Amino acid sequence: MIRRLIICTLPTLVCVAAGIAVETLAPGLPFLDVQISAGWILILGGILLSLLLALIFILHGLHRLHIESAIQAEKQTQTEAQNRFLRRLDHELKNPLTGLRAAVENLEESAADDPLPAVLPDIRLQVERMVRLTGDLRKLAELDEIPLEQSAVDLGDLLKGIVDAVQAQPLGAGRDIRLVVPSVPWPLASVMADEDLLGSAFFNLIDNSLKYSRKEDVVEIRAANHDRLIQVEIADSGPGISAEELPQIFEELYRGSNARHREGSGLGLALVKRIIERHGGSITVHSRMNGATGTIFTVLLPASAAGEPITKR
Amino acid sequence: MNPPIISLLLVDDDVSITGQVGAFLERAGYRVHCEADGARVLEKVKSFNPDLVILDVLLPGMDGRAVLRALRDHGDHRPVILLTKVGKASERALALEEGADDYLNKPFSSRELLARIRAVLRRAHDTPVSLTSAWKLTAGNLMLDRRARRATVNGQAVAMKPKTLALLEYLMTHPDELMTRERLLNAVWGWEYPAGQRTVDTRVAELRRALHDDAEHPAFVETVHNEGYRFIAPVRGES
Repeated sequence: MIRRLIICTLPTLVCVAAGIAVETLAPGLPFLDVQISAGWILILGGILLSLLLALIFILHGLHRLHIESAIQAEKQTQTEAQNRFLRRLDHELKNPLTGLRAAVENLEESAADDPLPAVLPDIRLQVERMVRLTGDLRKLAELDEIPLEQSAVDLGDLLKGIVDAVQAQPLGAGRDIRLVVPSVPWPLASVMADEDLLGSAFFNLIDNSLKYSRKEDVVEIRAANHDRLIQVEIADSGPGISAEELPQIFEELYRGSNARHREGSGLGLALVKRIIERHGGSITVHSRMNGATGTIFTVLLPASAAGEPITKR
Repeated sequence: MNPPIISLLLVDDDVSITGQVGAFLERAGYRVHCEADGARVLEKVKSFNPDLVILDVLLPGMDGRAVLRALRDHGDHRPVILLTKVGKASERALALEEGADDYLNKPFSSRELLARIRAVLRRAHDTPVSLTSAWKLTAGNLMLDRRARRATVNGQAVAMKPKTLALLEYLMTHPDELMTRERLLNAVWGWEYPAGQRTVDTRVAELRRALHDDAEHPAFVETVHNEGYRFIAPVRGES
């Protein structure tokens, strides 16, 4: 913006300076056979050029704005179409899955008469996996529409509760999970959020960090006030994610090379991202595979308006 | 003499469901009739006289909810379990308002369906007015007005969040049933998630605070160790 202003005013300044110089050195110097002096011609010409440049910049800006809004609208319809598709897919999968589940249960019940086929537990496991996947697909499609039950949420309390819940699960048992929440001189600002939904997003992130790091690795959750934003980092000292894979991990159904043998629908991070975005926040990821390896997920959420203003210098 | 065999009418247009689920229910000792066409359900109910109807929502001929309404309009109050596909909270509330006794989201497990059938039949036996279609529910000094979305204790209004009220509503319409946390999440929140355990526990604690219910000696909501919760006070329904 400032650069454009300089570009616009530069011809005026140069020409006005030149014009004044000409006027003082040789007042009334005739320019061809026009009645106006050459100095004035220079000044007027400079102003005209500046106006022209300004006009060009404005038109260019408007054009870009138009393109941007068109892209936005295009994105919107794309998301809607995608959600519609997800809902239909989920819908069409539900009947056969119900039948399949019942078939497996029928077989299990009849096991009293015959020995259980060895493949049955495996089939059961895969059916349950598909059930989870369809559930996640539905959530993803619904996330843009479900109403949020918003209230002022204390993120420190929320994170503490989640860490306790995670540590009570087999995956988190015996793991080094640290939580750092500021308390002095002022505590973490609260956020307006759907506590359950936001909690599930953080649970997913912490769960993820545990899943993709080794038993001896540390998982650290750090919350901090940042002006009108609250930053929550979920960091681990795991092996890290490669630069090729990093940009894709928030995509639906993307499964990293290290995710092959791990449980999960491949929708976890996509869900997390949508939940954070519905709360007006953002999520980014940094990772390192050499030296001090590990991954940091950074969540930024708008702090709720309430609270004492902080003086800054 | 053997006790009379309980009969069920299973309405779904998908053979994979009527076939497998039907077989499962027969194995459990019920007599099962299947029907695929929504428009034929009413006459089937008349001729077959089932003790309970399991009704899919999306049917050819006549929509499952329309069938349910028609059934109730004819003064038929036999228990109905709806099989729903859309898991949205509003849809679920609707199923209750339209007089279904319970509902189950697809893809459900047949064992879960069996548990629901037993609970609904027992409740139908115990309470003359179906709780799920009643507008006012009373348990001791606690009263829930479902239309006004308001709870009172001894006539005094009790403030609670919408989700907490929905939780109370679900518990009160299914008294004396063991509610696992998964089931409560599915019914009240509309989706299960891994952090669910905690979410349910927090809400139940909130509900108890609002009702001044002591967790150690509860009058309303009992904790079933390692399993979930149960609404223990007897509930009366008024339409």
